[in-house]
Amino acid sequence: MVDYTLLKQYFFQLEDALKHKIALKLTPRRKFIYEIARIGIRIFDKNWSNGWTTVFVPYEILNSMNVSGMFVEFFGAMLSGAGLSRKYFELAESKGYSTDSCSYHRTIIGAAMDGLIPEPDVLIGASIPCNGGVKALKRIGEIFNKDVFILNIPIEVTSKSIDYLVDQYQQMIDYIEENTGRKLDYHKLKQSIKFNNQAREYLVEVNNLCKNVPSPSISNDLKNFIMYILLLGTKEGVEVAKNYRDEFQYRIDNKFFGLPEEKYRLLWIQNRIQFKTDLINTLEDRFGANVVIDELNHIWWDELDESDPLRSLAYRMMTHPLVGPVERRLKVLTQLAKEYRVNGAINPAHWGCRQSGGARVLFKEALQKVGVPLIHLDVDCVDERNYSHGQILTRLEAFMEMLTASNF
Amino acid sequence: MVVKGIKSSKKPMMGWVCTYTPLELIYAAGFQPYRIFGHSNPVKNADSYIHPNYCQFVKSTIDVAVEDGYNFLEGVTFVNSCDAMRRLHDVWKEYVPTKFIYILDIPMGYSSLGLKYIRTEFEKFKIALENYTSNVIQEEVLEDAIDVFIESRSLFHSVNTLRFKNPPLIIGSEIMEITSEFFKSDPKIWNEQIKEKLTISGRNTTRSDIINKPRLILSGSPIHDVNFISFIEDCGFNVVYEDLCTGSKFFDIKINKSNDLLSVLGEAYLNRVPCARMMKIKDRAKNILNISKKYDANGIIHHSLKFCDTYLYDVPRLKELLIEKDLNVLFLESDGSLGSLNQLKTRIEAFLEIIKSQMR
Ligand code: SF4
Ligand code: SF4
Repeated sequence: MVDYTLLKQYFFQLEDALKHKIALKLTPRRKFIYEIARIGIRIFDKNWSNGWTTVFVPYEILNSMNVSGMFVEFFGAMLSGAGLSRKYFELAESKGYSTDSCSYHRTIIGAAMDGLIPEPDVLIGASIPCNGGVKALKRIGEIFNKDVFILNIPIEVTSKSIDYLVDQYQQMIDYIEENTGRKLDYHKLKQSIKFNNQAREYLVEVNNLCKNVPSPSISNDLKNFIMYILLLGTKEGVEVAKNYRDEFQYRIDNKFFGLPEEKYRLLWIQNRIQFKTDLINTLEDRFGANVVIDELNHIWWDELDESDPLRSLAYRMMTHPLVGPVERRLKVLTQLAKEYRVNGAINPAHWGCRQSGGARVLFKEALQKVGVPLIHLDVDCVDERNYSHGQILTRLEAFMEMLTASNF
Repeated sequence: MVVKGIKSSKKPMMGWVCTYTPLELIYAAGFQPYRIFGHSNPVKNADSYIHPNYCQFVKSTIDVAVEDGYNFLEGVTFVNSCDAMRRLHDVWKEYVPTKFIYILDIPMGYSSLGLKYIRTEFEKFKIALENYTSNVIQEEVLEDAIDVFIESRSLFHSVNTLRFKNPPLIIGSEIMEITSEFFKSDPKIWNEQIKEKLTISGRNTTRSDIINKPRLILSGSPIHDVNFISFIEDCGFNVVYEDLCTGSKFFDIKINKSNDLLSVLGEAYLNRVPCARMMKIKDRAKNILNISKKYDANGIIHHSLKFCDTYLYDVPRLKELLIEKDLNVLFLESDGSLGSLNQLKTRIEAFLEIIKSQMR
């Protein structure tokens, strides 16, 4: 008998806590986390089917079929943030999962083995950003004796490759119908594209506002904002985006800046460190350094075509900067560095990320070309067992001192 | 440029890295395909180009490439096989001047949509080759190329059947030499040499040193060094099949000829005996079971390269699946360098003892 009370409690308590906080004062961050908690709660709602996914799948389609999509990496991050992951690492490792693999995935494998997650109705994995995600999902599928639907995201955009992904989306819809009995409501999907476009416009504004020097945001305002993809195409997603836009606009109009003494502006590459550390505080308090843009918060896609949802969703997915060779990503990184006028970039260089680690030197060189130094922290963002705070702090300090020196 | 150990036809050479590369197209475009292996020594330069947590194959390939060790290659064809391979492509493209660099996108798993897609990918690749050489690949030329490789595979199978016998009439390291040579040679020349070898070697005598050794299948991440096989043989096994992209499995691909040659190739490659990237672990287990029966094996060593997610993720489940079938399996992990193998010796020998005790 599986027991996922822990998970249920976690999301219900989170929702409850945020509801109270919001009653005291609505902030966009609170609203954002509140909505994410509500998505977590949907896992236990009979009106929704359960979909375990990797991070980049078309949630608009899932949402339009009342399938609650939840990406497995989210759990790695969540359990690590809550200080609960150790047990699951140990369990996965005891079964032979390598400590060299990405710990986002190792946590969820352990968690699934331990009965922490409810049975999925569907499992949908995409070939981007990494192979580990699909492998982890496959393992979860084996635990629950379910098939996994794999989306192969083509690495080059041509009309035929878009067709290929559209056809796969169609098959994915059939697979969901077969396994949940839920039909796709095209009207709902179109509505979801409409919401997506509205939210997108706000998010572009939010990001543009952060280009302001000093930025209206502070490093953690948009931390882990990648979770927002779960809200794409929903009314709540539009509300969250609008809240952020309104708040940042208000801050700019009233000269309330994220870090009033913002001395350095930083670009954060890929994911944040998920367990608790005070690195961000140190950066802000001691150095006046503000993370003004996270690579993964960049809105890379144009407005979607409401009349052709599947095709525009396919196109959006295929043009993601993490698809295919690294060139596209390097272009985005340098573009962000310039547009946000950053002084430096931080790459946690998450141990076990085979998707990103191989490009670390290319990141450094590309950013150097636009005059932005980069530091690789070399940490495991999820598994804190090997984390050495002193060592990382020393490296970060040295980096900040180097920035200070080059500033004069 | 003359490269050691290559049966060269003086054609320009095209490097390739993954078993899903349609060599027929490369050959038909007038290139001699050359499989890139890297090396199996400690890695020197790669860490300045890539994170140290990449497999030995990727790191050692970078090692050789950045020191101009592959400058005899006119081009390189990569495949979107795994995360590591994609990054290898990126690093190569940035740091290793090469005239023609291409990356093929091959779907994971088999599906009718994937089949259609792989055909369009092969077609794109064909056009890229044609544009580069300013030469259209005629149907007959492609068909000839397909035939050459069909012959290579069939010759390889003839050699491989020598291993059916107990004791085998040819040892694993010898086969690996032949395989490695294939990867570097013009297939036509290789075919001729194998034919010669097959006729002259009566092979009805067996070497005394291989009698009574347990028969072993080697599975897992690609192994590029013949010494690896010799090492296992020296521990006391007869390696009778390599379930490896770089061994016997490489030749396990069936071509069903029809009019549309690109579809023929697409179908064959997508359907070949899967490696771990194809996400078909049950098929992998089934295949290991089948070859285990076919080659009358006493045990299996599954070796994963350190940092090779593709294979490492499969290990726990594969272990369950193979043990369910009552197979003797030893799972090993090493960084792929010959030095690291020595540390595994005791485990290999212990495994040998278990098998021997069952054989008594
Ligand atoms: S950190 Fe890297 S390996 Fe891990 S989930 Fe993200 S992209 Fe995949
Ligand atoms: S499949 Fe494994 S051995 Fe091959 S390139 Fe990828 S990580 Fe390396």
